[in-house]
Amino acid sequence: MELEDIVSKYPPKQIMLIPIAIIILALISLGATYLATGSPVKLGIEFTGGTIITVPATGSEDSVAEQFAAYPLVDIRDVGNRYMMQFGHMSDSEYSELVKLANDKFESPDIRHMGPIYSKELQAQVIKYLPLSFILMAIVVFVVFREFMVSLLVVTCALADILIAAASMNLTGVELSLGTVAALLMLIGYSVDTDILLSMRVLKRKGPVDEKIIGAMGTGLTMAGTTIAAVISLIVISNFLYLIVPSFTRMDVIADMTTVLIFGLVVDVINTWITNAQGLKWYLGRPKKAGRGQKK
Amino acid sequence: MSLFENLSKDNRVVLYAIVVALAIISIGLFGLKFGLDLEGGSYLQLQLQGAEAQIDVSPEDILTYQFNATSIEKRAQGYVLMVPGKVQPDFAEDLGYIGAKTIPGENSSKITISAAPETIVINFLKDSLDADVKLNVDVSPVRYEILTNVTRDSLNALLAPVGGKVPEGEDTFVEGVTDQTMIDTKKVLDSKLNRLGLQDIKVKSVGNKFIMIDMAGADVAEAQEIVGKPGKFEIRIYTENNESMHVLYGDAVQSVDIPEKENNVWGVPFTLSEDGAAAFQKAAIDSGATKKPNDHEIAMYLDKDEIFSAPLAPELASSLKKTPSRSMRATVGAGDEGAEKAKELNIHLREGALPVNVEIVGSGQVSASLGDQFKVQMVIAGLIALLAVAGMIYYRYREKRIVLPMVFTSFSEVVMMLGVWAVAGKYLGWQLDLASLAGIIMVIGTGVDQLVIITDELMKGGEAAASSAQRTIKERAAHAAEKAGVGKVVATTSKVYLTRLSRAFMIILGAAATTVVAMLPLLFMGFGALTGFALIIILGVILGTFIARPAYGRIIGHILGTN
Repeated sequence: MELEDIVSKYPPKQIMLIPIAIIILALISLGATYLATGSPVKLGIEFTGGTIITVPATGSEDSVAEQFAAYPLVDIRDVGNRYMMQFGHMSDSEYSELVKLANDKFESPDIRHMGPIYSKELQAQVIKYLPLSFILMAIVVFVVFREFMVSLLVVTCALADILIAAASMNLTGVELSLGTVAALLMLIGYSVDTDILLSMRVLKRKGPVDEKIIGAMGTGLTMAGTTIAAVISLIVISNFLYLIVPSFTRMDVIADMTTVLIFGLVVDVINTWITNAQGLKWYLGRPKKAGRGQKK
Repeated sequence: MSLFENLSKDNRVVLYAIVVALAIISIGLFGLKFGLDLEGGSYLQLQLQGAEAQIDVSPEDILTYQFNATSIEKRAQGYVLMVPGKVQPDFAEDLGYIGAKTIPGENSSKITISAAPETIVINFLKDSLDADVKLNVDVSPVRYEILTNVTRDSLNALLAPVGGKVPEGEDTFVEGVTDQTMIDTKKVLDSKLNRLGLQDIKVKSVGNKFIMIDMAGADVAEAQEIVGKPGKFEIRIYTENNESMHVLYGDAVQSVDIPEKENNVWGVPFTLSEDGAAAFQKAAIDSGATKKPNDHEIAMYLDKDEIFSAPLAPELASSLKKTPSRSMRATVGAGDEGAEKAKELNIHLREGALPVNVEIVGSGQVSASLGDQFKVQMVIAGLIALLAVAGMIYYRYREKRIVLPMVFTSFSEVVMMLGVWAVAGKYLGWQLDLASLAGIIMVIGTGVDQLVIITDELMKGGEAAASSAQRTIKERAAHAAEKAGVGKVVATTSKVYLTRLSRAFMIILGAAATTVVAMLPLLFMGFGALTGFALIIILGVILGTFIARPAYGRIIGHILGTN
């Protein structure tokens, strides 16, 4: 069986190269983006401020764009049956005029306007709440296991998941939005599930460590499978359905959210069953104080 | 005993069945309310521009600066100032010192001000910022609430000429407004929007400086206009046969003071412009109110709604016969009720002007047709997700008897969540928005995970998992039971069964707790945009962990055991 090989066949140092390589690549990506833009991921319009208007696709992109030529139109995209236009900063009066124009010329336009105060506040919130969320999760993990090394392993794996998921945004061009922040928080909560399962099984059951890990793996992979299945169905519906059914529209929030989640979930499989599993093997197999968790 | 009989005696299963039944009833009874992004409408995000600050300043220095005073003497009731030159009597009143007495002399004038030290600070700030300033005595040391856009630096610059400053430290300058101001502002907006007869408006506060307004059936241009535009205030006077005639509009009201109590009766003092006072006198005489005040009440209207009506006070009625009166007082009543009414009238007299400067920081509109389309897309996504999850489970267990209860439990968790949402929608105004629908789908994905943990733990599936595809459930269950030394099947009452179940729940509780704490921050960030997402996930985790999964543990135990 291939999956068992991951746990026992290859030497730990060799197998650990996979997650280490991924995390290094992720850090490089985050660092490079930070150096280039001043933020580890590309900030979406909610964090930079601006206006998004989507209107029914009544003519060609160019003809629609032309109607808004008097305003700072940054980008126009076809999102299935509708055009999505992004505008840069405007004065309040300009914005009011733009809103009137959109409402006059088009049936049921969709408008979202984020002023500079809004986006600044949002940035401050993310910087405050994302780490807070992580710390709360770490506290829960330490309370659950009450064993430093085991908890540290779980928390480290979760951190790696989040960093890699964030780096995946740079890879796929997904920008940081409220939706993607929600996805990262979701990953903080979710990524430790399988780690907890693994650690519990290994610590609380009797038997050889490798066997217990392989046992937990069956359960854990099913868990990952079901969640990935749910996420993939959301990806298909939000991202691609409009290409098949012309009357449907791309759901941006969901699309961005699920893109981050899928990377996080896949990388969580690697981190749980390689990083965390190897870590546990090493911890329990140490010559002297080994296996403290199993003693009564 | 049959499976059904067995289960109907199990408290957890019974509780689960009751909750699911109640959920279905409440969905049927209350229906589900959808959010703005699915129903269409527009929204505004307002920032209340205010701050609270401690201020270190000596009132004497302020007075010296304001009056150019040569000497200041502090008395029990206030201050006595000597000011060079001949000072006009209304100079002090213009600076906001109501009731100041000025005795002008040739070389210097004597001004007596009756004001507490804090009042002097407030007057100074009001005058230099042209904004409302209040004293917050609920905190210690007291803080000044400044109802306009200020920063620590701008305040310090303002205080520099009078030798004052905001002390160093984090608590000495806090952006945002007090709870009371937030409540007042919300009230003004509420009453303003309700008076316009707009339906389905939600005004909610976020933290201490933001207010979100949702309006169904208005485009964002209209919404902005409504919030920015003051109401239309009018005073009319009753003539004959319950008819009334116009006296003046809100533009003739020059200023409105805060409510005050006189002989235990609350009233709102206000001042009319000269033209306004003349119009008022003429109308009072023409209508006959000066002769028979009780037959010709004075009525006040805001946007066509009568908000106040009372006869002229006898003294005012008789004085109006001769001269116009600029300062008026609308009396409303005694006690707490009077105080409340006075407060409301005060708001109305200000034509629904907000007690604090607001800035629209974000706004938008969602089209109803797009919302409908998203609803359909999300239902499709939910069903596909459920099918995909079912497919994964079947791939793993290859057993109808496990897959069906699992999918059913997962589906019932969704039903329970929606049931709670329906009740909360009815009583708390919770809505299902696009993000919370996505949350439901996430809960389907993670909820099944927990069911997998329970199932595997009960089957001691760990060891068997690697070769799951080759072996049947029965074999695995038997194998596990044998190893555990309890005969062929794991009886649901056996100790082994219970230990395994509790071990599964330790894992589940740990996982549930981490998900909940990770979601907590979302309740507070993003101006409420993701509150629904976070709430539904937390709710799903709680309902799942404490109601659905314990019942599932029993049911699957019976199914695996009774064969």
